[in-house]
Amino acid sequence: MSLTDLTGQLVNGLVISVFYALTALGLSLIFGVLRIVNFAHGELYMMGGFAYYVVASLLGVPPAAAVLVASAGVFLLGALLERLLIRPVYEGKVDRPDEYAIMITFALSVLLQSLMLSVFGPWSKRPEPIFRGRVELGALIISGDRLAAALVGALVIVGMVLVLHYTRAGKAVRAVSQDREAAEILGVDVRLVGMLAFGIGAALAGAAGALMGPVFNVTPTMGIIPVIKAYVIVVLGGLGSLRGAILGALILGEVEVLAMVLIPDTTRALAYKDAYGLALLVLVLLLRPQGLFGTEGRRA
Amino acid sequence: MTARWSRERLAGLVVLLGFALFPVWSTQPYWVYTLTAGFYYALLAASWSLLVGYIGRISFAHAALGGLGAYVSVLAVTLAGLPVGAGVLAGVLATGLVGLGIGWLCLRLHGAYLGLTTIAFAEIMRIAITAEYELTRGSLGLRAPELLPGAGTTAYYYTFLAALLASLALMWLLLRSRIGLFFQAIREDEDGAASLGVRVTLWKVAAFAVSSAFAGLAGALYVHFVQLVAPSMMSLRESAFILTMAVIGGFQNIVYAALGGVFLWVVLESLRDIGDWRLTIFGVIAILILRYAPDGLFGALAERLARRRWRK
Repeated sequence: MSLTDLTGQLVNGLVISVFYALTALGLSLIFGVLRIVNFAHGELYMMGGFAYYVVASLLGVPPAAAVLVASAGVFLLGALLERLLIRPVYEGKVDRPDEYAIMITFALSVLLQSLMLSVFGPWSKRPEPIFRGRVELGALIISGDRLAAALVGALVIVGMVLVLHYTRAGKAVRAVSQDREAAEILGVDVRLVGMLAFGIGAALAGAAGALMGPVFNVTPTMGIIPVIKAYVIVVLGGLGSLRGAILGALILGEVEVLAMVLIPDTTRALAYKDAYGLALLVLVLLLRPQGLFGTEGRRA
Repeated sequence: MTARWSRERLAGLVVLLGFALFPVWSTQPYWVYTLTAGFYYALLAASWSLLVGYIGRISFAHAALGGLGAYVSVLAVTLAGLPVGAGVLAGVLATGLVGLGIGWLCLRLHGAYLGLTTIAFAEIMRIAITAEYELTRGSLGLRAPELLPGAGTTAYYYTFLAALLASLALMWLLLRSRIGLFFQAIREDEDGAASLGVRVTLWKVAAFAVSSAFAGLAGALYVHFVQLVAPSMMSLRESAFILTMAVIGGFQNIVYAALGGVFLWVVLESLRDIGDWRLTIFGVIAILILRYAPDGLFGALAERLARRRWRK
């Protein structure tokens, strides 16, 4: 394999990593604040894709603005879902909160998938991407829609990290995820922060879906594979750790493209591609449940 | 107390008689066929409820385990030339062993972490079976030999009903024994149970193995009835489907979960006209039940039956 091929694969891995990170960040943020794994996260990603399709293709809004509108829509959806379904966990209104949270988000994922299947049918949609065409960097050719989507995605991630570090709301989110009770004592409105965190987490997934929709098609089942990657990433990086989510995404993105190149039997390599990450997930959970950056001592 | 029991038992007897006499009364083989498939889902939902409802361990691998049992059985019959009955037994043993392995590996994991790990195991099984296309023909699936060659739908109906009832009876015997109490003790307070001498490790692994074996039985029987096995029956969507059935029926009781399986399947089949909207509606119902009536439809119904007698 030539150096150009290798560089090409590495750049591809990087592009994929950005999308993985967007989805995983939201999942980790939600876990950090609410201590629940959102098993409907892939469907929020899918809702972002459909929102983008409706706004960009059906209403004719320009792509960049459509990504914003779609993310905002999924933010509202996420906040609403948190208010209706997750808040009861914190108000002591359900019997077995752990199992309830798992089952309700899992049931929600089926509901959203079926809903979109009912409304839009199983056929895949291909809305207009932000940028069409190819980008040539020396001998390296990258398809423009992916690159543009990855750049926007990277901007969103940087923006999110800045917001979390430097704004009052962001600091409140981080405070709650470090110590819920202490934050509450110090006057943080933990309910509002919970709603905000779920909304932002949803919006990140929605943004990823809106950006990826034009690249990989918008379908009711588009969220299944990305969310499984996100599970692997957040477990690898440590559930609740944002740094871990970003690093985990980079590791998984690169490992996947490189593993593809290095294995000779292409049919099998392709089929097993999605299994490596899952094996990694199992290994991490068994050997180091807190992940790379998670806090130790938490009971898995 | 005696009144309550007799009333519940009476309702149970009526349901049982209804199922036993259905093929006699029904003139449409289509519904006999549909109910037979419904018994497959009933057994899956019951096996899931055995794990989640009693010992409090979550699993999203049950559809995949059912598929694994099915593949083992079909391959044992087509490659090793075993009779179908022995193939099914091999499928049950294999899934029981895999369940034992998963249960042992996941001993330290709880809640969402366990959910994630079982998702990973389920997907790895599905991916591996799809990838090994030389053996399994990948996503095309394999033809499965018939369980009862030449038999009609009614024969399958009674075989499946008998298998379901026998499985439920076995589970019930297990759950009403001391072991069932150990399960519940572990669900309520694992450390407390351990401190009182309950062998937590043993029973957690055993519960996973037994529950998996019943899922394997369901899958193996089913594919020899529909005569096709494909990786699609192992998808996470199918597991979500099992969860929805058990939750709507009442996941804290194996019988209610099983009734949920049959009930949902039959209603889904009779609402074919509205297409995917039916799953949307059932998704909403499942969420409402989880939130407001965690005992499920049949749990709430049994409660009502008991209460009405009381007030008189």
